[in-house]
Amino acid sequence: MSSVKKQKNTGRTWWRSLDEVVESPLFQKKVHDEFPDGASELLATGNDRRHFLKIMGASMALAGLGVGGCRRWPKENIVPYAHRPEGTMPGIAEQYATCFDFGGVSQGVLVTSNDGRPTKIEGNPSHPDSRGATDSFTQAAILDLYDPDRSRSVTYDNKKSSLAAFKEWIASYLPNDGSGVAVLSEQSSSPTYNRMRRAFMRSMPNAVWVTYDPIANVNEQNGLASAFAGLWKTVHDFAKATTIVSLDSDFLGAGPTQVPNTRGWAANRNGAHGKMNRVWVAEPSLSLTGANADERIAVKPARVSAIATAIGAAFVGGIAATLSAAEKAWADRVVTDLKHAGNHGLVVAGASQAPAVHHLVASINEAIGATGQTVSYTTLESDYKTSITELAEMIGSKAVESVIVIGGNPAYDAPAELAFESLLKSLPLSVHLSLYEDETSKACKWHVNRAHWLESWGDGKSADGTVCIGQPLIRPLFDGVTPSELLATISGLATTDGQSLVRGTFGAGDEAWDPAWRTAVHDGVVANTASLETPPVDRTISPVNIVENTGMTAVFVPSGSVWDGRFSNNGWMQEIPDTITKLTWDNAAVMSPTTAQQLGVKQGDVVSIQVEKESVSLAVLPVPGTADDVVILPLGYGRRFAGRVCTGAGTDIYPLRRNGAWSAKAKKINPTGDTYPLATTQMHFEIDSTPGKGTQERLPLLFREGTLDQYKEHPHFAQHVGHTMHSLSMWEEQQFEGAKYKWGMSFDLSSCTGCNACVTACQAENNLAIVGKDQVLMGREMQWLRIDRYFAFESNGHGGWDGDKLAAVAIQPMTCTHCENAPCEEVCPVAATVHDTDGLNTMVYNRCIGTRYCSNNCPFKVRRFNYFDYFRRDPLRSTGLLQVQPDYYVKAQSGGKTLRAMQFNPDVTVRMRGVMEKCTYCTQRIQRVKIATKNAWVKLSDAAKAKDPRVAIQDGAIVPACEQVCPAGAIVFGDLMDKESRVSKLHESNRTYEMLEELNIKSRTKYLARLTNPVGGSTGAGGSHH
Amino acid sequence: MTQSRFTFPRWTNLALPATIIIGMTAPLYMAIVVAYGFSPQATDVGYMPEQPIPFSHQLHAGELGMDCRYCHNTVEYTQHAAIPPTETCMNCHAQIHPQSEHIKPLFESYTTGMPIEWVRVHDLPQYSYFNHSAHVTRGVGCVACHGRVDTMEAVYQHETLSMGWCLECHRNPDPHIRNPDLVTQLEWGLDMTAAERLENSVLWRTHNDLKPSEDCSTCHR
Repeated sequence: MSSVKKQKNTGRTWWRSLDEVVESPLFQKKVHDEFPDGASELLATGNDRRHFLKIMGASMALAGLGVGGCRRWPKENIVPYAHRPEGTMPGIAEQYATCFDFGGVSQGVLVTSNDGRPTKIEGNPSHPDSRGATDSFTQAAILDLYDPDRSRSVTYDNKKSSLAAFKEWIASYLPNDGSGVAVLSEQSSSPTYNRMRRAFMRSMPNAVWVTYDPIANVNEQNGLASAFAGLWKTVHDFAKATTIVSLDSDFLGAGPTQVPNTRGWAANRNGAHGKMNRVWVAEPSLSLTGANADERIAVKPARVSAIATAIGAAFVGGIAATLSAAEKAWADRVVTDLKHAGNHGLVVAGASQAPAVHHLVASINEAIGATGQTVSYTTLESDYKTSITELAEMIGSKAVESVIVIGGNPAYDAPAELAFESLLKSLPLSVHLSLYEDETSKACKWHVNRAHWLESWGDGKSADGTVCIGQPLIRPLFDGVTPSELLATISGLATTDGQSLVRGTFGAGDEAWDPAWRTAVHDGVVANTASLETPPVDRTISPVNIVENTGMTAVFVPSGSVWDGRFSNNGWMQEIPDTITKLTWDNAAVMSPTTAQQLGVKQGDVVSIQVEKESVSLAVLPVPGTADDVVILPLGYGRRFAGRVCTGAGTDIYPLRRNGAWSAKAKKINPTGDTYPLATTQMHFEIDSTPGKGTQERLPLLFREGTLDQYKEHPHFAQHVGHTMHSLSMWEEQQFEGAKYKWGMSFDLSSCTGCNACVTACQAENNLAIVGKDQVLMGREMQWLRIDRYFAFESNGHGGWDGDKLAAVAIQPMTCTHCENAPCEEVCPVAATVHDTDGLNTMVYNRCIGTRYCSNNCPFKVRRFNYFDYFRRDPLRSTGLLQVQPDYYVKAQSGGKTLRAMQFNPDVTVRMRGVMEKCTYCTQRIQRVKIATKNAWVKLSDAAKAKDPRVAIQDGAIVPACEQVCPAGAIVFGDLMDKESRVSKLHESNRTYEMLEELNIKSRTKYLARLTNPVGGSTGAGGSHH
Repeated sequence: MTQSRFTFPRWTNLALPATIIIGMTAPLYMAIVVAYGFSPQATDVGYMPEQPIPFSHQLHAGELGMDCRYCHNTVEYTQHAAIPPTETCMNCHAQIHPQSEHIKPLFESYTTGMPIEWVRVHDLPQYSYFNHSAHVTRGVGCVACHGRVDTMEAVYQHETLSMGWCLECHRNPDPHIRNPDLVTQLEWGLDMTAAERLENSVLWRTHNDLKPSEDCSTCHR
């Protein structure tokens, strides 16, 4: 890729996309079009004017009929309890602690229940991993509960059957001693499930137990097995680490331990007392961790192992592999930094690294004294002795004839060479327990519908081994069973109901009100059950076998949106733009711009990728910072299960993945000549509509950053980037007379990793619509909060920028900043957006007539317009003359009285077509606390009232959804009138700046400039080439 | 000699001006009819749906003098003045008139656990959020919005509950404020003069520092 742009003289130059750097024709068109493509077309699905007239005519006829029955709105019923449970108060949401087992780690959560409907998931503050925060997947799990595609009954041979029939059948047909029986289970941390596993193996001693999870860190388990003997898992404490070295470990990225990892990492990122941690990352793909790294090198997976051996050689001996000059220089600097850090160092290896590397890393951590400090270990209960490959052999040789699949989806995600789907089909006896009638269910004789975790009793273990108890929030909507219940049934236990099983594991007495049990259920965690250990490492290190691929390497990564495919029928996760690629609804072949150029392809060109004999075709997406000669393939897409959301989303990569490998040699990558539209949002909602150069000039003002050294030298550097002078205001300044509160927010760019948890939390809290891929392509996504991502490139040495050489990535959460002098308010012809006394820029849906002037005048482009009735109230029109069934209708799972509607937050209006909407600072949460505070104040004595004339609200009492979920603590909301509040203090911080301050809009949301900590304090915070 | 041809009588000279006047005023008349006919005053006030049980507020709240909060016990704490659960009714009706035809659905609900489906009388649009606790604890009497429920055989809507009507009181809360302890006394203040009520309202408003909000975000979220 050539370099075209002229280099500016000061500061780092940021770019939103590669197209911008080279001023591609696509970009030119985008900036010149006033609206994105199709925004002026009425209907999304290519309906013409004639169809429109037909619809309008018929609608008017209907409207005429409607007028006849005019009284007021439809009759509504009030349905009180017959027996109101003690302590419940209709209209007051309650929270219950429970736990969500994901990838073998249990996340502690508090679930909000509105009159019996679970509507929102929050982190459990007393859970050691969560501490009140959650990741994006946990936020989205609530939508899965109400997914209309969930399976609703037991089936046999894909025909409806019953649980009773299944029980009868299993009792009569399953061999008594378990000969020829295998259980294929997903990972689970649940003590009850493991107890049931032991009960099952006791009742059927000849049975085989297999645990399989396509994303499981099997390499680490094997590496630690050779390091310590036994089954172990690493537990990191990033908060104690000052130097963190990641060998292709995306520890900040999506995954079961994202929340504690992010919290620990963020604890030392604000430069307080002139100190912060330093993150070194060697990786092939640009991961979230890489984007937040201080020093980064992009290399092929095998070279990561080579770098590991070089680091190992410096601390524990062994033979260092041959390194290139750049790799050697990088490894040497890592070694120096690690030696300096001493026992505050930490080396982390990713799942892609061979067991020997994990063993080596355990030795390095022990050698530098990190074991027991930044890293410790916990034993695993599960039994991994039999692998899925061995199971396939047993099925092939008829040694196993009955397979019970518990959770998971092996027909979709098992290693490709096993052809597991046809193996399952060949079995005379097969059972699958799952939420959906998915690929595996279709291949099995029996499908048993599983209860969602929000419908079940359960338990689990957090990363550090702390035991959590999970209680149901609602009775199973479709009478599903839990994995433990299924195992208990098959094992012929006397008690098979979930609650008794969990109580049994806990050791609760028979007494219904056992206080210890009640405390555990109430808290969601059992105190003092963490089980961290620091076993000594066996230092006989087996040499690391480095398999070099010549040519192209295919690298498999779990998707940050759908993980291994389990969240692929979740519209929120499908529509969330990936932080780095900004891609929604699809996966793509991610490669470096150089590699794309060598292959002669550009974004959206379809390539066919061949590994061994299999090949798949998908669109190319060049991303700077990706190692050259590598193609990154996110797993989890291209489901064959006919869910309404996942159908048509992306391409299945599993056919290329053999033996659970994380990379493979790509024999051929050939352009097919086709193109495929990729719904990336990176060019949507540009903050500055000045094309090209104007944006680049302003970006250093929008995103301010400096190194730790600069900060120490110049503590106010962030405030001296631009010059802002206001002698006269062009605004009629807001006065806020009689205001008791002044709401404000602060985003810390230093600790925000771009994990997207806040985006999903906002979606769940504020009833945001899913719009579907075709609408996203038109720039109509509805997320109120977006994560802006900018790239900085290295100079090409001729006064321009090199689009191949990534210098840094900037990540900036962006939502309504609640400007005091709000430009949107000036242009609204109907005063539908106005300020309230406390300083909120409010949006009054029932007044809005949809001119969209406000959005046009918003400098931050944070307003979202309902082009359609995305939550279609009237599903009747899906057939007949008036049939309109565009994609969003299907994807949003909408319709007035459908299952989906049960998730709605009753405190937030569900918006209609034709109205504008945007961030409200969660005004419903503000109102709830304000009303309760004043209610209590009125009842105070006169003396107490006189002491608190302002009716002060305690700092931290109001928590918007985004702040509540943030694992990094990067978002702080509060009252600026209270000088002691956290947000007031942050606004006074020397790192604070206001975006577009020169417009004199007086934003209530301010940003804390990002600090990075590269070696030597240079601005080049790591890149693809050194 | 009689007149051989018909001539219009003299009064017909008025026809033209009359037509003009009627023609000019008719649209105005229509506008008034429509404006009133479609206003909440006409469409909503007086709405009195039939309920599954002919519960008499006049008997319970009026003659028997039960406090509103015996049944609507959540009114001081939440946005809803919740309809009581069947159990609350059974506290008395297990003993009183258990054989009555009228309260058969009550016993049915109590034994089956299935709720009684009451019909909503005071129905606000879904985009407006009214909070009972915020009004009751600050001394806005029930009567201010619901009228003399203690005299209603079947409950009907007494006020328009329109936005303009809400704002009227938010802009000038007097004389609707009283001692918060007396909010459920529907007949309270009837024996006072208007001036006395106003004075009392100002007193309590000042005492509790009430400044009703006119912000959109107060009701629309």
